[in-house]
Amino acid sequence: MHYQTESWGSYLPVARPVGDPVERIERMAAESAVVIFSVSTCCMCHAVKSLFCGMGVNPTVHELDHDPRGKELEKALARLSGAPPSAAVPVVFIGGKLVGAMDRVMASHINGTLVPLLKEAGALWL
Amino acid sequence: MASQRIGEIGLSETGPSTHHIPYSVYHGINNPSTFINQEGSAFDFGELEEAIVLQGANLRNDEAKARRPAATLDMFPSWPIRLQHTPRGSSKSGGESTDSGSGVNTNTLSSSIAEAQREAESPVSAKASSSLDHRKLQKPMDMTASDTSPLPSPSQSASKAPQDKRKGGSTSEKQLDAKTLRRLAQNREAARKSRLRKKAYVQQLESSRIKLTQLEQDLHRARSQGFFMGACGGSNISSGAAIFDMEYARWLEDDHRHMLELRTGLQAHLTDDDLRVIVDGYISHYDEIFRLKGVAAKSDVFHLITGVWTTPAERCFLWMGGFRPSELIKILITQLDPLTEQQFMGICSLQHSSQQAEEALSQGLEQLQQSLVDTVAGGPGIEGMQQMAVALGKLTNLEGFVRQADNLRQQTLHHLRRILTVRQAARCFLVIGEYYGRLRALSSLWASRPRENMMNDDSSRQTSADLQIVQATQNHFSNF
Repeated sequence: MHYQTESWGSYLPVARPVGDPVERIERMAAESAVVIFSVSTCCMCHAVKSLFCGMGVNPTVHELDHDPRGKELEKALARLSGAPPSAAVPVVFIGGKLVGAMDRVMASHINGTLVPLLKEAGALWL
Repeated sequence: MASQRIGEIGLSETGPSTHHIPYSVYHGINNPSTFINQEGSAFDFGELEEAIVLQGANLRNDEAKARRPAATLDMFPSWPIRLQHTPRGSSKSGGESTDSGSGVNTNTLSSSIAEAQREAESPVSAKASSSLDHRKLQKPMDMTASDTSPLPSPSQSASKAPQDKRKGGSTSEKQLDAKTLRRLAQNREAARKSRLRKKAYVQQLESSRIKLTQLEQDLHRARSQGFFMGACGGSNISSGAAIFDMEYARWLEDDHRHMLELRTGLQAHLTDDDLRVIVDGYISHYDEIFRLKGVAAKSDVFHLITGVWTTPAERCFLWMGGFRPSELIKILITQLDPLTEQQFMGICSLQHSSQQAEEALSQGLEQLQQSLVDTVAGGPGIEGMQQMAVALGKLTNLEGFVRQADNLRQQTLHHLRRILTVRQAARCFLVIGEYYGRLRALSSLWASRPRENMMNDDSSRQTSADLQIVQATQNHFSNF
């Protein structure tokens, strides 16, 4: 029952049992500068991966269909991002903070907030 | 005098009621003063009534003849009020309470006569005293007649009281009463007629209104069905697609209107605040089409993505069910001078990021296509209905891509609005609108160009002129 406050961003620092999906997500999100939760067969996930790779970012991708407890992670992600459970992925975290699903990522890229965020997280150097 | 003689003649020859009418008309002609202010239709009828009433009264009383006064314009021989009212007494007593001012709408002659009688009596009593003074002098003869009037008073009920009042008022108003009677009767008649006319008019309006709403409903129904039929030329078209086509057509009309507003707004050099309203209105206009496309994508994504709803030239350059944002920025960047350094940087980075986003979505779509091909091609382990089910599942992802593409377009337009000043934004949207307008015009020009085997000298000249225009615009577009 430990928690970290520094990289939680928008989350309340509430103590949770280890193994709780949200806690796992948060832990995984904190591990790298750019974390993408995906499903290997999902084409939209492929699109978001292409986007970051095209920008020169090297994201950490968690394929939930390869995770034994992927289903519950998907459900938790859907709740976090506000998406319907059928379209839970892709979900992007930058610097441990939740950015959102594809539409939010696109919007932030167009209005020019994505690149500064990436630079701040240390994912981009140019 | 002449009129009196005529009156006499009329009276002496009065027998059957059929003679009443011509005499009354004749009387009417000879007595313009009371009829000048009457309407034509009321004139005849009121006059008729009056004549019939009074003539009828005359028939019963030869005394009236004897007492006819001299030189006045009064056409109807005056007789004692008592005698005047005697024959009507019976109807009057019943009718006194129901004043004809209640607006009885009956068209029969008899009832209107009765009405006129009742009408004539009540106001006359009111007017008796007022007109007493100035009539007295005019009609000395009446006084003599009136002196004799009180004598033969039949035993009537209390309803005769108004009559007595009038009698007491004086029979000097005999002539006045007749005139007043006439005038009032005619007024009454005119009022009744105009009430009837008004009622008829209102009824007409009501029925027209109902008809109009029905027509509007029919038109709306026919229009939606018309698009259902017309949009496809016989092939199957889903209702979602038909509805979208109809709404898109309306959106194009709105677009035209917005363009006019923008153009006139810029030319008129409106204040920034006024222009901002117009520009923001144009943004909302685009938000609307993206919303409509979102709805349509749920029901028929193929309709959107194949661009059936656009014109051929637009369809040629279609990207994921709509325009390509980076293409649009390319068009604008040359037409938006002068830009500040910061604005120019902003637009360049916008172009860059939209290109990256487009690329990402295109790659995602490509992967979907590949996956679908694999599924439909089939192979060991996945066949038949299962194969179809999987393919169907994959197809549902198409909607997501079209939604993301529209989202990209919407974000690009909004960000453009943020970078630019109001005037620049107005010019920018004007350029965009005109560009697509020309693209649509190009499509129709292309569709209406004459074919090779139908050309003769005249049309070939026209064709080459058309083709030159098309050529010029084609070169312009080929940059993309």
